[in-house]
Amino acid sequence: MKTLSIFAGLVLLSTGAFAADQSEVKPSSKLAALLDAKDESGKPIITPEQRSYFEGLNDNLKEMLNHAADKETISRAEHLSILLGLQLSPQKMELLLQNNCILCHSDSANHTPDTLFSTTVEPGSHMNLNDVVEDVHFRRGISCAGCHGGDPTADLGHDMVKEWPEKDRDKNRAWVVAFCARCHADPAKMHDFNPALPTDQLAKFKTSPHGHRLLDLHDDRAPSCVSCHGVHGIRPAKDPKSKVYAQRVPDTCGACHANAAIMAGITRADGSPMPTTQLAEYRTSVHGRALLERGDLGAPRCNTCHGNHAASPPGVAQVSKSCSICHSANSGLFDGSKHKQAFDQHNWPECGKCHSDHNIAKTGDTMLSTAAGGLCGDCHRQYAADHPECIQTADYFHQTIAQMDEARSRFSAESEKLASRGLDVEPISNQLTELTDTLKKSRTYVHSFSRSTFQQAAAPGLAAITKTEELTKVAHEEFEYRRWGLRASIVVIGILMLAIYLKLRQLEKRS
Amino acid sequence: MRGWIDRRYQLTPLFEFLRHKEVPIGSHWMGWYYLGGVTMFFFVVQVITGVLLLMYYQPGEATSYESIRFLTTKVPFGWLIRSIHSWSAHLMIISLTLHMFSTMMLKAYRPPREITWVSGYLLFLLTLGFGFSGYLLPWNKLAYFATTVGTNIVHSVPLLGDWLLQVLRGGHDVTINTLYRFFAGHVVILPLAFVGLIGLHLLLIQRQGMAPPVGTTTAPRGMKFFPSFALRDLLLWFACLMLLATLAVFLPYGPGIPGMDWELGQKADPFAPAYPGIKPEWYFLWEYQLLKEFPPHLFGLEGPQVCLFVIAILLGIWAIIPWMDRRAYRNMHSPAFSDFGWGAILFLTYLTLMGWDIGAKSGSDDPASLQNIAHTCALWTLAAGVVVVVVRAWRFEHRWFILTGAVLLHIVLHGLVGMSYLVAALIAVVAAAIVIIATYLLGRGNWSAAA
Repeated sequence: MKTLSIFAGLVLLSTGAFAADQSEVKPSSKLAALLDAKDESGKPIITPEQRSYFEGLNDNLKEMLNHAADKETISRAEHLSILLGLQLSPQKMELLLQNNCILCHSDSANHTPDTLFSTTVEPGSHMNLNDVVEDVHFRRGISCAGCHGGDPTADLGHDMVKEWPEKDRDKNRAWVVAFCARCHADPAKMHDFNPALPTDQLAKFKTSPHGHRLLDLHDDRAPSCVSCHGVHGIRPAKDPKSKVYAQRVPDTCGACHANAAIMAGITRADGSPMPTTQLAEYRTSVHGRALLERGDLGAPRCNTCHGNHAASPPGVAQVSKSCSICHSANSGLFDGSKHKQAFDQHNWPECGKCHSDHNIAKTGDTMLSTAAGGLCGDCHRQYAADHPECIQTADYFHQTIAQMDEARSRFSAESEKLASRGLDVEPISNQLTELTDTLKKSRTYVHSFSRSTFQQAAAPGLAAITKTEELTKVAHEEFEYRRWGLRASIVVIGILMLAIYLKLRQLEKRS
Repeated sequence: MRGWIDRRYQLTPLFEFLRHKEVPIGSHWMGWYYLGGVTMFFFVVQVITGVLLLMYYQPGEATSYESIRFLTTKVPFGWLIRSIHSWSAHLMIISLTLHMFSTMMLKAYRPPREITWVSGYLLFLLTLGFGFSGYLLPWNKLAYFATTVGTNIVHSVPLLGDWLLQVLRGGHDVTINTLYRFFAGHVVILPLAFVGLIGLHLLLIQRQGMAPPVGTTTAPRGMKFFPSFALRDLLLWFACLMLLATLAVFLPYGPGIPGMDWELGQKADPFAPAYPGIKPEWYFLWEYQLLKEFPPHLFGLEGPQVCLFVIAILLGIWAIIPWMDRRAYRNMHSPAFSDFGWGAILFLTYLTLMGWDIGAKSGSDDPASLQNIAHTCALWTLAAGVVVVVVRAWRFEHRWFILTGAVLLHIVLHGLVGMSYLVAALIAVVAAAIVIIATYLLGRGNWSAAA
């Protein structure tokens, strides 16, 4: 009985396996014809890669393709080739095959270039098919009908363009914000798609100069959501192709802020014309180069200091707050310094006064110079000439830091030279590490503008200089000792050689 | 005292033998005779410094690198011992190579000295083994990856490759087990084999004497081995000691050339990414480069397998030269084999220079750079080749340049014309064969005329 059960089980299993093999969906006759179609020169239209992609699709997607071919939503091999050529993931392919809007608009036989979703037009242009299928909304199932209305599963559906003004849509684009906010300001709706995404964008936008200009002044130059995020190819901010990806933010903002025609007539809070040099300045700044040249995504860009949806120029009091996001140590020291009060009295932007704003250059120790042209000296002569002790303090900062910097360079070169001579430089390297750390710390502690605080920070570095000098001297003495040892050895060996030579001559003369 | 010893051990015949022993003086430079002694001197230095290093070296995952670091930084004169050991190893290989080639060119391998040649050849292979095994012992990053690359070559040996690799490494990968094996080989197995072979080599030299010039059975003149030759040997050894001490003090980590650099650097880390631009020691560069010149597959076999086969054939030919050189066998000049020696030198030079990436502009692996390397190395080797040919023709009145010519043709086709290494080699070999056969036919079937 037991044997019989096992046998029956095996038969069932093998039948099941056979049935599973049989359940594989084969292309319908129409789809097969499309897959096998050849062009005028007799070359297959579906490439081997596309064919291989098709073979790898699951049964459900093959059924959907059969359905689309049978209903002639896909009726041309060239059209099928474009769709298979997208090499979409199964999830996206399923979304695409459910969407008659895309199926129809991606066939060049049905559409003129102005309504065709083509893969050959420039990415980012109005209707690039790759953009459409990469759109963050498409990926989450909100396709054309999500904005345009209509039924994407219907055979023909142009019951759309109901969701926005019929007329003058481009003249007053305030409706765009309200349109996007239907979902993006509704926590309940957003919860269905991405619960982690904030829903306060509209509220923030309303508080921003951008929002004020668009919503209250109805200025058609003012940006709306699509100005920064795009329309049909909207991607998550972490996608390098997104217009709001960290490295693309400067260009996105610069599209308007570096354009003199767009910014004409727009003024700052103090009434001065809004400059258009920020992008060019930022590109050459230490921050811009870190982000754009070195690819440091932690480097600040426009929105780091100005905000995103609530973007606004930071006020004098806010500048240091923006800087302190990253430079917290410098900011903390400055807040406790005498300069804090003085700067406030002059209504100077704290960090920006010395380091500028968009064109922040790499800091250098010469900034501390009290000579003409030096930052400290020039400012103090103009505003604090009655405090000569401040100039002395600045001199002290400058000299101490310059001393440590020079010692570090000198000892590094010395250490390399000694290492190449085979001497143990580990103790010197340890002291150099201490010196480098202290130098970095001392440069930060300049922002305390206090001699005693700075002295405390710099003390280990100065001690390291003394210690390194001693170690270097010992290493040089050791090398000198080796050289003397070598000389002595050579003399001894030389004498022995001479003795042998003389003996040899004597022996050969004798024989 | 001497009488007391002699009564017990009968050493008088030995002293008499040594007293009458002479070194032949011929038409060639006497300096070639001293190279064996110089090599022996470097070997003795290796033994002495090796024993001193052993007093501090502790093989082990956590101790190999650390003990060498301790030795070179904390132990008095530890740096000097390690530096001399490393310098002496390289100088020993240089002097041994010169000794081998000078023996070959002077045809000192001819009867009755065939076994002396073979024992010397085996000593040469053992010396390379010393270099290879000693390289890993500091267990630093460079040595680790160089050994990984080096031992991997064994994998290409047909049929036995996988087994041999495991035997060599003590497992699939280079681990501390590999170091234990290399350590045992470096300080026990190789020295025992080396001492045995060197004993045989010296015994044969003492028994048969040094080879007189070709064409004579006894040299027209001779130099007394004791004291004239021995004292000259001693003088040279002292000069070598001076050289070693100077190099060790001024260039303690080597001259800084890839493959001749023994700075300790970082400790080996099997999980670290492979060392970029890893190269073997300079004396293995020609094999390394030859392996690179072979395609992945050739004649249905793996390229490296074919390459190893070619290397084995070349090394085999080198070992049996005394039996191949029939003219030297009859105590006659054999210009073809002199030419073979010079061809071998140019062949090794070209490959070694390419292995060193001489002439590399950017990354050494991009095609433009590889072409540039081949071009530059070809020019240097051709220049050396032309000098060799002119000097041989003018100074030594040699007239047989077929093999040297084939090697130079190969270099021109590969380095200057841009052909693949193997196609260029095939053309050169065919050209050499045609010329040799034509010479034979013109010589009316007389191989002596051809050779």
